[in-house]
Amino acid sequence: MARCGGRVLLALCAALVAGGWLLAAEAQEPGAPAAGMRRRRRLQQEDGISFEYHRYPELREALVSVWLQCTAISRIYTVGRSFEGRELLVIELSDNPGIHEPGEPEFKYIGNMHGNEAVGRELLIFLAQYLCNEYQKGNETIVNLIHSTRIHIMPSLNPDGFEKAASQPGELKDWFVGRSNAQGIDLNRNFPDLDRIVYVNEKEGGPNNHLLKNLKKIVDQNAKLAPETKAVIHWIMDIPFVLSANLHGGDLVANYPYDETRSGTAHEYSSCPDDAIFQSLARAYSSFNPVMSNSNRTPCHKNDDDTSFVDGTTNGGAWYSVPGGMQDFNYLSSNCFEITVELSCEKFPPEETLSSYWEDNKNSLISYMEQIHRGVKGFVRDLQGNPIANATISVDGIDHDITSAKDGDYWRLLAPGNYKLTASAPGYLAITKKVAVPFKPAVSVDFELESFSERKEEEKEELMEWWKMMSETLNF
Amino acid sequence: MGFLWTGSWILVLVLNSGPIQAFPKPEVSQDKSLHNRELSAERPLNEQIAEAEADKIKKTYPPESKQNESNYSSIDNLNLLRAITEKEKLEEEKQSIRSSPFGNKLNVEDVDSTKNRKLNDEYDSTKSGLDYKFQDDPDGLHQLDGTPLTAEDIVHKIATRIYEENDRGVFDKIVSKLLNLGLITESQAHTLEDEVAEALQKLISKEANNYEEALDKPTSGTEYQAGKIPEKVIPVAAIQDGFTNRENDETVSNTLTLSNGLERRTNPHSEDDFEELQYFPNFYALLTSIDSGTLSNTKHQEKILPKSEKEAKEKETLITIMKTLIDFVKMMVKYGTISPEEGVSYLENLDEAIALQTKNKLENNSTDSKSKLYPVPSEKSHEETDSTKQEAAKMEKEYGTLKDSTKDDNSNLGGKTDGAKGKTEAYLEAIRKNIEWLKKHNKKGNKEDYDLSKMRDFINQQADAYVEKGILDKEEAKAIKRIYSSL
Repeated sequence: MARCGGRVLLALCAALVAGGWLLAAEAQEPGAPAAGMRRRRRLQQEDGISFEYHRYPELREALVSVWLQCTAISRIYTVGRSFEGRELLVIELSDNPGIHEPGEPEFKYIGNMHGNEAVGRELLIFLAQYLCNEYQKGNETIVNLIHSTRIHIMPSLNPDGFEKAASQPGELKDWFVGRSNAQGIDLNRNFPDLDRIVYVNEKEGGPNNHLLKNLKKIVDQNAKLAPETKAVIHWIMDIPFVLSANLHGGDLVANYPYDETRSGTAHEYSSCPDDAIFQSLARAYSSFNPVMSNSNRTPCHKNDDDTSFVDGTTNGGAWYSVPGGMQDFNYLSSNCFEITVELSCEKFPPEETLSSYWEDNKNSLISYMEQIHRGVKGFVRDLQGNPIANATISVDGIDHDITSAKDGDYWRLLAPGNYKLTASAPGYLAITKKVAVPFKPAVSVDFELESFSERKEEEKEELMEWWKMMSETLNF
Repeated sequence: MGFLWTGSWILVLVLNSGPIQAFPKPEVSQDKSLHNRELSAERPLNEQIAEAEADKIKKTYPPESKQNESNYSSIDNLNLLRAITEKEKLEEEKQSIRSSPFGNKLNVEDVDSTKNRKLNDEYDSTKSGLDYKFQDDPDGLHQLDGTPLTAEDIVHKIATRIYEENDRGVFDKIVSKLLNLGLITESQAHTLEDEVAEALQKLISKEANNYEEALDKPTSGTEYQAGKIPEKVIPVAAIQDGFTNRENDETVSNTLTLSNGLERRTNPHSEDDFEELQYFPNFYALLTSIDSGTLSNTKHQEKILPKSEKEAKEKETLITIMKTLIDFVKMMVKYGTISPEEGVSYLENLDEAIALQTKNKLENNSTDSKSKLYPVPSEKSHEETDSTKQEAAKMEKEYGTLKDSTKDDNSNLGGKTDGAKGKTEAYLEAIRKNIEWLKKHNKKGNKEDYDLSKMRDFINQQADAYVEKGILDKEEAKAIKRIYSSL
């Protein structure tokens, strides 16, 4: 009987608390918006996107808000910590966050690698919120994009630098303060220089892809690498990224590989094997940005040499040589194609201009992501249907091979044209196929590779057949 | 034929010796290994958070903690917590880390209201005490001496309360109000009544037995029963006379101390008010406004007496209700139904609700005597309500200035509160949009009604994972979990 009463009491208590909660919920609302409004939404606000600079706490909160709003399609994770201990946060958007679906290509945006180049950071925060909003509104383009791609957005690779730059008093931010990480390392000169290696291999022969050997020695045990650099390298090695862009400021152009000149001079067009598709990719960004693609605009700075700029795009080496950059590192250590986008003449423009930067860039940002669904894609499997990971896909006439991922899936970005694709793997017989590639969408081409042992077996069987026939004929 | 055979072998050889590159094998591992590696290679997150919190706490909380203990020693109803306070002294250092998130959270959740920061901090250590108690017991269902806390204990506590107030009518009032609110059914009310009556009987007989022992022991700090004895002496005596036939010696000695007891009885009572209800400034303002209402009514002497009686009763009832509510909440916390922070938030919100209601009533100048929060008798004139208003306004001002001065001291936290409110609001908005979309989305797919509990579990899981990885603060995670659990 006591038990019964106890339960009644519990129910009572629960009911009281519930009643209290309802009260609380009502009581809180009138007061709260006023306080919130005053501090955070001073400037223009549109659909949850507040066009103002986000320091580290606000950045985190903004990403958490996106996650809370779109839990079904988003996930926040961190690839590591900056020198001063700030998380290098990434928000992932996909129909199955946290999971690589076989055949689903992986995309990344990285911003604010130079801490004082702030526009990229903000644009990526806006983009995350925008994608979530549009997805929920049923925007077909966005819905399809999120269902068919795994999008990773890292608003800031150098949060320490940003804090330094943002803390500067006055309107005009310095051209240099906050650029490097907390150790004073320029992250975009800090990556292992694989350009040098590939240039040697071009001359003397050698691999044309995946040039980063001995990850442990060159990365983990390398004291010269910043923690941010190491984190990104591991990230690149872990996820089979296909397409990427690296957002900067200080100019207005979409820059593509190679960044480092072959001869070592200051300016020299240094094309990579995939020059054609890279030009197309860069244009896919710049053409949607009215200011960037305007060939008649005045250069950002008086004595700038922008002679290399074509339709808002430029080859890296042609503009100026950059050794140890992240863009080329992506191309030469992994399957990922990356370009560098310079978003603003002013590295840290006034907050009021952020909404107009968003307007100028949002279509470009979406368009660029869609480029991932181009060229050729498919699976490499054996005759039993098992995936062959790390198979090599080479394209006749392009001296750059890519490899298949864990599930045997591969994505080969190609400009429109006719190509011969060859898939090969150790212990297997290579297969070559002819493919006609349109501008878009991607063409699906699968490979079923026969292993040597299988072929041997086949041959043995053939031999036995022949022997049998012979013996029958000759009455052995 | 032989040619064919040889030919095919040659082909195989040729293909075999073709340019097969030695491709490197980039680390092909799951995404998750990235995070595990990161956590083990870099400084453990928990450690870092704990460090940061400990630093924060050491700067802001040390002055508060000493006050806490002295306050709690005088609250006789919270006897369970006395032992905890003892333990708290020992565990203070460890607790600072644990209590800070709760402390911060409280500050963070604080609306502008009339509560000042100090009070909240004191209340913090209650929570931290409770929390500590929790973390010792996995199921949180133990008394001081380690025996499990049963349903019986809860009934017992209510009976104790009624016993103290020495007014069975209190129980009736509480139950009738709950019935009015629709929180319990008739049958539940009856069952409750039986339970409490039974417990009350037991209590009376127990107290009578303990009285002998209690006379030897002066008020001690740790005994669960003994602490109540001084106050209970007189009620025990009074009720004993009515209920059981006890030794005359006791009765005689009881009556001797009767007069003292009466005085003492009122004092602890008001002390009680002051201590516990201090946490509810709005409620306190309400109480005092009732008093001041009486005071201002000096002109109409004849009417005063019945009024003051009535008002005193009302006041008693309100206090009892409040205390009972506090007790309920504490029991629920002990029982593990809600977490300490939830309990505190609930009580705070209740206080705010009282403030709101009070304001509304004042504004409306309502003569509705049935109003449970503002029992203004219908005879009250405009003049009186004005003066009551003034009193309430004065009270608010007092608290306002108190709050301001605290704010000056801790302008950082003040600003933080503001911004944090915006953040919570943003999160709330985001969650709302999410739920909306999920409901719509599920309807389209002709699925069952949206499974909120699954979502809740998922969110809880994710929130915890995020806290571990340093993506969410502990307070944020708790807030988010709370928001989801209240849907």
